[in-house]
Amino acid sequence: MFSQFHALWNLMRGHRLRYGLALSCLVAATLLNYFVPLIGSVTIDHAVAGRAVTADTPALAARVLHWLGGADHLRAHLWLAPLAMVLLSAASGLFSYLKGWQASLASDGIARQLKDQLYDHLNHLPARYHDRADTGDLVQRCTSDVETTRQFLAAQVMEIGNALVLGGTALPLLLSLNAPMTLVSFALIIPVIVYSYVYFRQVKHYFKEVDEAEGALTAVIQENLTGIRVVRAFARQDHERAKFAVPNARYRDRSLHLLRLMSWYWSVSDFVAVSQIGLTLVVGAHWIVTGKFTVGLLFAFLAYLSIMLWPLRQMGRILTDLGKTSVALGRIHEILGVAREPEPAAVPAPVRPEALAPITGRLVVRDLHFHHAAGATPSTDGRGALNGVSFEVRPGETLAILGPSGAGKSTLMHLLLRLYDYTDGSIQFDGRELSTLPRKWLRGQVGVVMQEPFLFSKTLRDNVRLGRGDAPDHEIEAAARTASIHETILSFEEGYNTLIGERGITLSGGQRQRVAIARALLKHPPLLILDDAMSAIDAETESLILDALRARRGRATTLVIAHRLSTLAQADRVIVLDHGRIIQTGTHAELAVQDGLYRRLWQIQTSVESQFQAELAVPPAP
Amino acid sequence: MPAHFQTEDEFHSRLDTGLWWKIFGRALRMKRYLVPLFITAVIIAVCDAAFAQITRWVIDGVVRDGASAPFRTYVVVYGVATTVLCVGIWVFIEMAGNLSNRLAHDIRRDCFDQLQALEFAFFDTRPVGWLITRLTSDCDRLARIIAWGFLDIVWGICYVLMIAASLLWMNWRLGLIVIGIVPPLAVISKLFQKKMLLSAREIRKYNSQITAAYNESIQGVRTTKTLVRERDNLGEFQQLSARMLDASVLNARQNALYFPIVATLGSLAAGLALWRGGYLAASDAISLGTLVAFINFAGQFFNPINQLAQRLTEMQGAQAAGERVMGLLATEPRIRDSEAVRDRLAQFRSPDSGIRHRHPDQPALAPDGHPAKIETIEFRNVSFKYDTGPTVLHDFNLTVRAGETIALVGPSGGGKSTIVSLVCRFYEPTGGQILINGVDYRERSLAWLQSQLGIVLQTPHLFKGTVRENIRYGRLDATNAEVEAAARLVNAHEFILQMEQGYDSPVGEGGNRLSTGQRQLVSFARALLARPQLFVMDEATSSIDTETEQLIQRGLETIFAGRISFVIAHRLSTIRRADRILVITKGRIEEAGTHAELLQNRGHYYELYTSQFRREREEAVLEGTG
Repeated sequence: MFSQFHALWNLMRGHRLRYGLALSCLVAATLLNYFVPLIGSVTIDHAVAGRAVTADTPALAARVLHWLGGADHLRAHLWLAPLAMVLLSAASGLFSYLKGWQASLASDGIARQLKDQLYDHLNHLPARYHDRADTGDLVQRCTSDVETTRQFLAAQVMEIGNALVLGGTALPLLLSLNAPMTLVSFALIIPVIVYSYVYFRQVKHYFKEVDEAEGALTAVIQENLTGIRVVRAFARQDHERAKFAVPNARYRDRSLHLLRLMSWYWSVSDFVAVSQIGLTLVVGAHWIVTGKFTVGLLFAFLAYLSIMLWPLRQMGRILTDLGKTSVALGRIHEILGVAREPEPAAVPAPVRPEALAPITGRLVVRDLHFHHAAGATPSTDGRGALNGVSFEVRPGETLAILGPSGAGKSTLMHLLLRLYDYTDGSIQFDGRELSTLPRKWLRGQVGVVMQEPFLFSKTLRDNVRLGRGDAPDHEIEAAARTASIHETILSFEEGYNTLIGERGITLSGGQRQRVAIARALLKHPPLLILDDAMSAIDAETESLILDALRARRGRATTLVIAHRLSTLAQADRVIVLDHGRIIQTGTHAELAVQDGLYRRLWQIQTSVESQFQAELAVPPAP
Repeated sequence: MPAHFQTEDEFHSRLDTGLWWKIFGRALRMKRYLVPLFITAVIIAVCDAAFAQITRWVIDGVVRDGASAPFRTYVVVYGVATTVLCVGIWVFIEMAGNLSNRLAHDIRRDCFDQLQALEFAFFDTRPVGWLITRLTSDCDRLARIIAWGFLDIVWGICYVLMIAASLLWMNWRLGLIVIGIVPPLAVISKLFQKKMLLSAREIRKYNSQITAAYNESIQGVRTTKTLVRERDNLGEFQQLSARMLDASVLNARQNALYFPIVATLGSLAAGLALWRGGYLAASDAISLGTLVAFINFAGQFFNPINQLAQRLTEMQGAQAAGERVMGLLATEPRIRDSEAVRDRLAQFRSPDSGIRHRHPDQPALAPDGHPAKIETIEFRNVSFKYDTGPTVLHDFNLTVRAGETIALVGPSGGGKSTIVSLVCRFYEPTGGQILINGVDYRERSLAWLQSQLGIVLQTPHLFKGTVRENIRYGRLDATNAEVEAAARLVNAHEFILQMEQGYDSPVGEGGNRLSTGQRQLVSFARALLARPQLFVMDEATSSIDTETEQLIQRGLETIFAGRISFVIAHRLSTIRRADRILVITKGRIEEAGTHAELLQNRGHYYELYTSQFRREREEAVLEGTG
């Protein structure tokens, strides 16, 4: 348990002062609150019952009576007592309010800090990490686990504080009022705390069972609803009802089972707690008869018991929750513990991005190797994603890359962006080795469009503007025109202000690709990478876009991964990749006459008509 | 998800008593739990109020009688009261818990039943996530409010009345003074409860936005990196997390303010009792025990009033949920058997069985009394529009005979899927008729028709479970041999045997342990096992590799034989196989005929054909199989 407290203590860094403040307010509120029953007590004993102050009168009671002007004065001005009670109550309430406020600022502040930290960290983790990670699980950790931690910090930490303050202050107070009675009053409190702690440890897994039963129920509902077409198609409604009845009943029965356990817990612990009050009452009454005790003191003890009993009973439960919080914290720290994308280590001093000259687009790739399995031996076993790729691109040149799926085309693009780090070989921009360039600076120089581009749930304008945050509207529209998406956007009811994604409209694959192209163009990157970025765009629009790209002044170096011949034919040069190696290089004219993948594709074009003639000659298969 | 589904929890300033009575009506059916719950709530309220009276009695006893006070009686009375209270607590948790869980179970069951009966159009406008919330948290919440709310309201009212009665009985003047704090206490409680509910809802709203932000940032992390958006993203996220922080702190402050205010009000009442009661006690007009009881009672008002305010506020907050759930239960399915069909079905229905797909006495007849064999399906002047939006099918005419395969081709959004859905009676025509053997299909049994279907969808959906279970979904009483025979016919047998546990291999959620092509094959086997008279296939295009495609094509022959088949086709191999090809554009038949006829027309079909031909060949070249 100590290590759990230690982890929490670390978490509170930067907010400890606030917690200290909250704790001081708590102490103040508790202490002030003690006086309310005490005033009632002395008023009853000395002002109402007319008891004289003797040596037996507790010093604190005598002091309070003195503050109220003494017994006679109080009797004559009885309104003083309620006034003091209300004022003290209000003062205690004020501190209690401040406590709640400060505690919330601290705990919610920590939670926010954790969330921000997680968010930023996830954005900076290497692509390799995200390849393997499960989105649902990550989101779960960032939300539920942070919430579990927050609840603990907000409620339970203050509850524990409250219990400690109560224990630490009530005991001396009560002892000073009447020591034997204090022992009687605490007789059953310790057992009830122990009882609740043991109880919750025992039933903890039943809570989990209920959660699991609920999860199973939700899963069945979800399956039925997502597969509702299949259910109807086979008229399986009765079967589905029977299938649903099982987890539905199981969830009910698990909940009822837990409930039965809880009904025992609450009734037994209430019995002990109420008996404690009864014990104090009867023993107190007995001692009043023998003159060892007074009605006022009995009133005060009963009032203190009602202040203390319920928070202390909760202790058992809170202590069992500690485990849950430490599990949640552990899961959060698993994410935060993963190293971010490393920055170049080869560079002695950190390279100041503003000191770097923009790339011109001259790219030299030499004997490049890459293996997807991390830590695999690089180089020459021939089973990597890239097995020794070499080529050069001149500034302003358009290079097309062709190859079957799995040939290593996308991997090559990812390496150029430093989404992955190559294991062997070299990539140089203007003679500068890629691994020595800061990632963010490098990525700022490259415009990239993927086959399934990711758009954010913002307006269309904001999505395009992601390319360059300070771009004015007319540049956004110009980029959209170049990407042949301007007209489409205007056809939407709200034009550029149309919201896309979950809360807005759904774009088709081709529309998404064109928005992403506009987004990349807005950046005016010296290097443009189109990774099968026009696969869902029809050929006519595609050539419009390509023409517009060519017409731009200061043409960017462009790398195009494509399958369509119309695209390939427009490139200055084509390289053909297979199994991570370049198997052909040349211009369209050269490759069209060489035997190979490129020519086979080229020939389909001309074979359509002959196939058609053949179809007409032979009757179709039955 | 359209925006209006997310703003679901509006706060109703007025309680819709009619609605709540209707929901409570379901609890009334469970008198077994409701009646004991009511009785215990009253008993506990009496016990709670009794303790202050016992204290008073004990104090007065010892002050008056000294050592001769009946201590033994005190112990017994107090012990009895404690026992009754604790047994009462045990009983009410049991009763309310049973009521709440059983109510939730039953409402959920009824909702689920209802969803099985509602027509497809209902699901078009309601996302799965939205419906799941109705069936899970909404049902639980309503049941909880009804059960625990009922308890707290009965208990709260009784308790307040008991305290008030005790006060007035002990001394009515003093009592009236103390009772004076009830109205402000009630008003403040209600006000704060509402504020706290609203700010808690605000927190939930931001929380779901934060969840969405995490989701988006993780899914788009590569885009973020390539656009170097890390810092801007964080800036936007921090705005969101700051708003959530503010909302959380506001809620905490409201909480932190509410309790001191009511505690001070309690002190005020206790103080008033001490002040006025003190004078009375000093002059022996009331006893010392009575004075103590007055002060104690004054502090006890808070608890029941707080509970009452909280429950009423909860009901206001949950009213929208109540409306949605009750609304779902009250929705009449728009596509179901007509009165006449139900009468006819009832004649043949044995008391124990559910849907029957065969006439019990005459195998040639369907349970609705019409011939079981489907000879023809005819679209007669059919038009159709979805609830919102334009007409998607205009004056459509088509007659299909048993054994025919119809391929539907054309651009997406042209109406191909609509035609298929109409045949399956997932929707009904908004104009015209669809006739089976010359009889309007609205005069036939819906369950019978749908049990004659075999459907393979573009994205095949499998249920969690084993491969065998999934194939058997087509016909639940099929033997293992029949399951395997179906799998063999569609060429799925080999890949299934290669899996670790063969036919008993789990397919994962939604079938995610299988490739799309394998899922497709399993769904073919499932459809075939159903021995459908009507086969419908929405062909997958890009997600299947050429090899699986060839396996499927070979299986198709078996499937099409002797059945009426509707195929939304992209692959040339499927299209060529059809007896008739319909080119559907803008809800009409643009061209119709055999493959050869249409090619010769050199119309729309010719264009589709050549571009598809090129695409398939290119794929084949790139996959290395061409």
